[in-house]
Amino acid sequence: MDVPRTVTTALEDRPIEGAVCLEAGAGVGNTTAGLLANGAARVYAVTDDRTHAETTLERVRSPTDDDGNDDPRRARNRLAVLEADLRAIPLPDDAVEVITAHGLFNVVPPADLDAIVGELTRVAAPGCHLVVDDYEPLPDDAAVRDLFALENAAARLADGEPMLTFYPAAALGRLFAGYGWTVDRRRTLLDPVPWTESHLEAHAAVVRSRVDALPADSELGAALLERADALVDGIGSESAGEMYSLALRRPE
Amino acid sequence: METRNLGPTGHESTVATFGAIALNWLEQEGANQMVELVLDRGVNHFDVAPTYGDAELKLGPKLRQHREEIYLGCKTQERDYDGARRKLERSLDRLGVDHIDLYQVHGLEYEEELEEITGDDGALAAFRDAKEEGLIGDIGLTSHGNPQLILDAMDRIDDLATVMFPLNPVVAAKGDDDHDYEAVLERAEEAGIGTLGIKAFAKGSWPSTEELPEADRPYSNWYEPVDTPDEIRERFDFAASQGLSTVVTPGDPKLVAMVLDAATRYDGMAESEQRSLIADARHDDSPVPEQLHH
Repeated sequence: MDVPRTVTTALEDRPIEGAVCLEAGAGVGNTTAGLLANGAARVYAVTDDRTHAETTLERVRSPTDDDGNDDPRRARNRLAVLEADLRAIPLPDDAVEVITAHGLFNVVPPADLDAIVGELTRVAAPGCHLVVDDYEPLPDDAAVRDLFALENAAARLADGEPMLTFYPAAALGRLFAGYGWTVDRRRTLLDPVPWTESHLEAHAAVVRSRVDALPADSELGAALLERADALVDGIGSESAGEMYSLALRRPE
Repeated sequence: METRNLGPTGHESTVATFGAIALNWLEQEGANQMVELVLDRGVNHFDVAPTYGDAELKLGPKLRQHREEIYLGCKTQERDYDGARRKLERSLDRLGVDHIDLYQVHGLEYEEELEEITGDDGALAAFRDAKEEGLIGDIGLTSHGNPQLILDAMDRIDDLATVMFPLNPVVAAKGDDDHDYEAVLERAEEAGIGTLGIKAFAKGSWPSTEELPEADRPYSNWYEPVDTPDEIRERFDFAASQGLSTVVTPGDPKLVAMVLDAATRYDGMAESEQRSLIADARHDDSPVPEQLHH
């Protein structure tokens, strides 16, 4: 299984072997793959996105996967993909020993933060480890900021809430501290962060999907889309900002 | 320029090694100028091969003038005793020197080749005899083939002083055995073998010849290289920070000066920045390993 270096680096000092894990926000299953490769006893991969759920399952099922000499069929047996909302996780209290949130919080609107942190805390067993990997706010001179701002504008118009929020590691650390967690360590995963052409196109696609949700004659929507496409063409790709890994611990 | 220990050779190689294939694309006067530039920047390790067109002949004049300042690597693609001996003598003749410091098995690609090289009438026997006679200093091996084959070769050749192999963020981003040159680096480090990194500047394979005829390629490398000062510097810093003894400059002369500049300024690279490059290259295609069918 192809596990990105950011994931292996974030997990390397955590006790994954034999642990019951929760991947909060499964994405395409990169962290699930990393947890299984590191010998997790079970991984609950939670996502509210049907495509992500399928992709995560497919990756573990693939015969080309390699999770460290383990039989991929057994890896699959150690995985449960839960299509669910992180504000209401379908697991009992104290159920998991390791939680990962790799690139999750930047897509969590501020209004949902409290509910999600509360749920993660509820399902965390005493002594649980938590790894939060995310992005520091981008520097002022980063060109991709304009694209993300457009994405947020389109999302606010369509959904009434932003799509992306870059929380400083210190801010998330303090928020979790309020729920009884303590910060174990902070490390830099990427500096700078490569925002590749395909990343930028994916963000422009989000603008498009939100504009599609607006009334068909929305001039503002059309203008946002036009601007987003121009930004993708103009920027091409850019390396800017920092991706961090914050490790926290729930007291025994 | 920083120098590093080149395994059991006892040589302290500069962190950049001059890949003298670049001389093949220059007229003699231009070749002389390039060698002077490389020496001016402090590089003390040169690498050449008889398969690099006229590079041996073009290197000759300046090499003889500065022989004491240059640690000279050369190599052969011959796999049998007689062929290897002939090629060694020819290289000595074309270079106009009486000693090659590091003589390498060039471009190992197939398991059968390894069988032949290590056999009684194989190239390595000729290398060892030449070493006894003082014609060469140490024995090395180069490959941009399958990393597992390089590991096999390291297991089977007990007097191997150096290995030369690809290392860049594109191969580092691949999680499979076919691109696991990091395992080669790790094994070499454990065994105290010197390491020379090639393809550090490879961006990917060239587009197909229908899309871009060979004559229209802007660089003479057989892969598409990165070509801006910033990219070159990132790639150099990445390769040098992996722990290689030395990083070989790319084959096109237009890129050499940029690499020398990067090598002169090299002062390490943060691990997070190394991961950035790997993450950026995650979906790129690598031109290595590739079967060259020489």
